[in-house]
Amino acid sequence: MNDTVIDLFFTLRVFVVVGFLLVLPRITRRGLLFGAYIGEASAERDAVRRLLGDWYLGCVMLMAVSFMVGFTISFSGWAVAGNLIGTVVLLLGGLVLYLRFHSRARELAPPAVAQQAKIAVAPLQAGEPEGTGLAKLALSACLATSIAVFVYALLSLEGTRSDESFAHIMFVPSLNLLISPFTALLALLTAKAKRSLRGGSGGRSVEAQDAFRATMTNVASWTALLICAFMALLSIQVIRLLHSEIDSLGLEVWLSAVAVFALILANLIRVVKSYGQGGALLETGSAEAPLTDGLADNARWAWGLFYVDRNDPSIMVESRFGLGYTFNYGNRISILIVATFLVLSLGVVTLVLVGILR
Amino acid sequence: MLTLTIDRSLENPVYQQVADQLRWLVASGALSAGTGLPSVRQLAGDLGVNLNTIARAYRLLEGEGFLIIRDRAGVVVAEPAERIESSARDKLLAEVRATLARLRQAGMSTEELLTVMQFEVLEMDGGGRENDDE
Repeated sequence: MNDTVIDLFFTLRVFVVVGFLLVLPRITRRGLLFGAYIGEASAERDAVRRLLGDWYLGCVMLMAVSFMVGFTISFSGWAVAGNLIGTVVLLLGGLVLYLRFHSRARELAPPAVAQQAKIAVAPLQAGEPEGTGLAKLALSACLATSIAVFVYALLSLEGTRSDESFAHIMFVPSLNLLISPFTALLALLTAKAKRSLRGGSGGRSVEAQDAFRATMTNVASWTALLICAFMALLSIQVIRLLHSEIDSLGLEVWLSAVAVFALILANLIRVVKSYGQGGALLETGSAEAPLTDGLADNARWAWGLFYVDRNDPSIMVESRFGLGYTFNYGNRISILIVATFLVLSLGVVTLVLVGILR
Repeated sequence: MLTLTIDRSLENPVYQQVADQLRWLVASGALSAGTGLPSVRQLAGDLGVNLNTIARAYRLLEGEGFLIIRDRAGVVVAEPAERIESSARDKLLAEVRATLARLRQAGMSTEELLTVMQFEVLEMDGGGRENDDE
């Protein structure tokens, strides 16, 4: 890959990340600010407007610093290092910026907000949530496909004894066995994730969140299926390449990669534009009512990013910062799922590194 | 859409708040016989409370004849009894008497008590009629 393509990828990454950070305050639920609940009445305060102005300025500065660091190193002849270091600066800088603004936002929460957090609302709906069927189907399909490809890759190792070939052949199928079923599992958990409803009449809030949750479930299910299909294709092509059956991965692999990436991005942009955080853009009618059910309780959120409540049986809950859902780190099942994913990811990376380095 | 609301700052335990609201929704006809309710896990997750809290509220209402808990079909609203047994009637009337005594001791006059009782009964019947109209 030449330096220009690497620089192009880096530029795209900076624009996507900073663009998302710039858009976030516009799609956030009313009453939430940088992962802190400050109450609906505080949303229009001058202090909030000043904070938002500082945030936009901070995002522009983050972009400038990331470009400066990345391109300075890249133009000195180390394009890959420039890309990596620039990305690290972008992500760490973004995290520091967020934490700084989160702590400033928490100071804006009036004492009444703590009282509101003690109220919870639940709809009296029976039956499985919308999207559960597709999520189950995606999980079964991803498991079946990734196991089949993994077994095929194992069988293709016949006659290949070197550790390096083993690592190259097994890397993508192992990754697929991990990522696509996990994404489908996330879809299934999303279908049953905890909604954070507004008090008062609550009706529109329930509908808005149900629509958002069903859409996110479908997006996650289709993402899992697309990733699984692409990685299965990539696995087969890599095996054929290493067995010298083809000269290169082929145009269809690259076109598929671009198509999968474009479809996932388009889906996310559609959710951002049509729904906002947790369906916030659909609940305009009842957006003035106080937020309830955990999302309003600042004490249950660490840095506005990690939800921890041992009494709450929910595995996933709506995120406070960003779009979608996050784990309840006070729940044993959630911790088990996250820990299993991390251990298996580490195992796959170790497998490849050991294979290549030996 | 019908919702349940709990307030952790109240003195009433959460299971009792859940039971009180469900009881009223059933009695007023807002939740008609045969209507399915969310599973214990779903409702506990939505409210962010322990599973035992909701299970306790459901069991209490099952004991009082408001709900039927089935393993596979889930939780459904029970049909009201055709006629009240005398022992149950005596027990419930004793509870009403105790509540009336507490209200009187709290300072309510006979007229106020009658007005409140009439209002509550009409409210309960009105809720049922509104639900039937829908």
